[in-house]
Amino acid sequence: MRLNRIHRTTALLILWAIATVAQTAPRVISADGAITETIVALGASEQLVGVDTTSHHPPDVVDDLPRVGYLRALPLEGILSLEPTHLITTEEAGPEKTLERVEKAGVDVTQLPVARTPKQTIRRIRRVGALVDRSDQAATLAQRLSEDIQRIRNQMASKQSARVLVLLAAGNHGVMLAGKNTAANALLESLGLTNALDHVSGYKPASRESFLAAAPDAVIIAEASPGQFKPKEWPALTRLPAWQSGQHLTENAMFLLGFGPRLADAMAALASVVPEREATAHAH
Amino acid sequence: MHTDSVTRLSPPVGYGGLAIALVVASILSLSSGAYPVAVGQIIDMALRGFSDDTTARFVVLDVRVPRLLLGALTGAVLAVSGALLQGLFRNPLADPGLIGVSSGAALAAVAVIVLGGSGLAGWSQFAGQWALPLAAFAGGTMTTLIAWKIAHQQGQTSVALLLLAGIAINAIAGAGTGLLTYYADDSALRSLTFWSMGSLAHARWADLWVAGPWMVATLLIAPLLARPLDAFLMGEPVAGHLGYSTNWVKRGAVLLAALGVGAAVAVTGLIGFVGLVVPHLLRQLFGAGHRLLLPACALGGSALLVLADCLARVVVAPAELPIGLVMALLGGPFFLFLLMRHRFA
Repeated sequence: MRLNRIHRTTALLILWAIATVAQTAPRVISADGAITETIVALGASEQLVGVDTTSHHPPDVVDDLPRVGYLRALPLEGILSLEPTHLITTEEAGPEKTLERVEKAGVDVTQLPVARTPKQTIRRIRRVGALVDRSDQAATLAQRLSEDIQRIRNQMASKQSARVLVLLAAGNHGVMLAGKNTAANALLESLGLTNALDHVSGYKPASRESFLAAAPDAVIIAEASPGQFKPKEWPALTRLPAWQSGQHLTENAMFLLGFGPRLADAMAALASVVPEREATAHAH
Repeated sequence: MHTDSVTRLSPPVGYGGLAIALVVASILSLSSGAYPVAVGQIIDMALRGFSDDTTARFVVLDVRVPRLLLGALTGAVLAVSGALLQGLFRNPLADPGLIGVSSGAALAAVAVIVLGGSGLAGWSQFAGQWALPLAAFAGGTMTTLIAWKIAHQQGQTSVALLLLAGIAINAIAGAGTGLLTYYADDSALRSLTFWSMGSLAHARWADLWVAGPWMVATLLIAPLLARPLDAFLMGEPVAGHLGYSTNWVKRGAVLLAALGVGAAVAVTGLIGFVGLVVPHLLRQLFGAGHRLLLPACALGGSALLVLADCLARVVVAPAELPIGLVMALLGGPFFLFLLMRHRFA
């Protein structure tokens, strides 16, 4: 009996300690690469207890964190095992019923809208700031980001209204063409550029002919991991006038298409390969 | 179906061994996972009637128990259906996929995933979270029915024709799935990839209430077919001469496999190899007689799938591997080993 009472007291003490710690230190799982980046950029990385497999940046923070899998196939028990207080993710996360049950288990689940424009990106940064109690930092970051974006947009005035081809080299799907209704297309639109493949919708397997026919003024390659895209295997691409004149860029897909705190840098990188207005005459 | 030099187990020893395996797998399943809950803790909670509202209680009662039950039922149904069809086709390489259940379910499921926002929006709205499982169940049973209709001519069902019709329908359904996959956007593509690798990770009580009755019915009715299927092993005419209505045997085996596997696939996605490997293996231990084989398959299939599910959830914790992937990783090499052993024996 006495032993039992001691046990019960200890258990209560532990529960109380957990409750206090939980109150003072939020434990956040971020299931989206851009949201993870934002949390880190806001100086709240010590709140992170887990991330999903789309979170790669910054590596010095996320590489040490447990991974709960892909954001569309989140594991219920895996999430609960990290004892989170918050799960911050996007509307793309799933399965829905798992998220409902995570919430039922007492975790604060927030599904933020997917950001596909600078405006949405800035709004999302502010919302993440409020969620991790870094609203002031978020306001500063949002302000800086919108100024940077405005500056890049101003520079675009001197550029041609270029047609840009975006290729995505990710996973074992090979190389995909980015058409309409993609993050790549949204990035082009943010700079007032035209997608050279505006007759394609979504990501489609790349045929060499299709991008020759597209006759782009610039080529962007978004690769999931460094060195994944091998230009040597794509002679039809490297023979394009745009490639020959150096109007091409290969960058990390998450950096280019994440619509996170690095959006201005991504837009600047894209803008850098768009030819100037007074540059050499158009080939077409 | 060849008689092996492998020593047969006496039924009590064999069943005992399988039952112990299932109990051990169940205990492992209840106590393993990303969230740490020890066996002692579960017993503690059970003794107090699961009265305290803790995360551990939630994990055990609402996550692991339905998952364990769904895994056990699915494993049993897949293995028993495999045994039924292997007996019916008199071919140890038959599995539930052969009569089109899996490919039909996959086509319907992928259609819901890809077209849920466009062409099938009405259905998705109407059926809500059950849109996919219901469609998969309907798709699986419908394709089987079509294969059956093709093979059923002039009051007779030709087993060979059923097999060929199944192959053709699998190819057509596969092409349909491929076409939908081509039109899928990025998010649908990821969802359907995960579905096709199967998972018990999202099992809820609700899934069990909906799919469970079909699976339980399959398991309860299947033993009635044991004797006629034994007669079938000597050839269809012999079974007829022995007084069995061969048409009813064929109809029963196909229908049971379609309903049971259809229900299982609807809530778990595609899980391969259980239906192929378990009956094949247990036939070598228990002999080809279905009266011993069918219950053994139920026990063995359960134990194997529950065990594989334990692996699926701990290997990359806190993330999870799809269980279909685990089964293929374990089952593929094992099956190859069985084949090689015959080849060089």
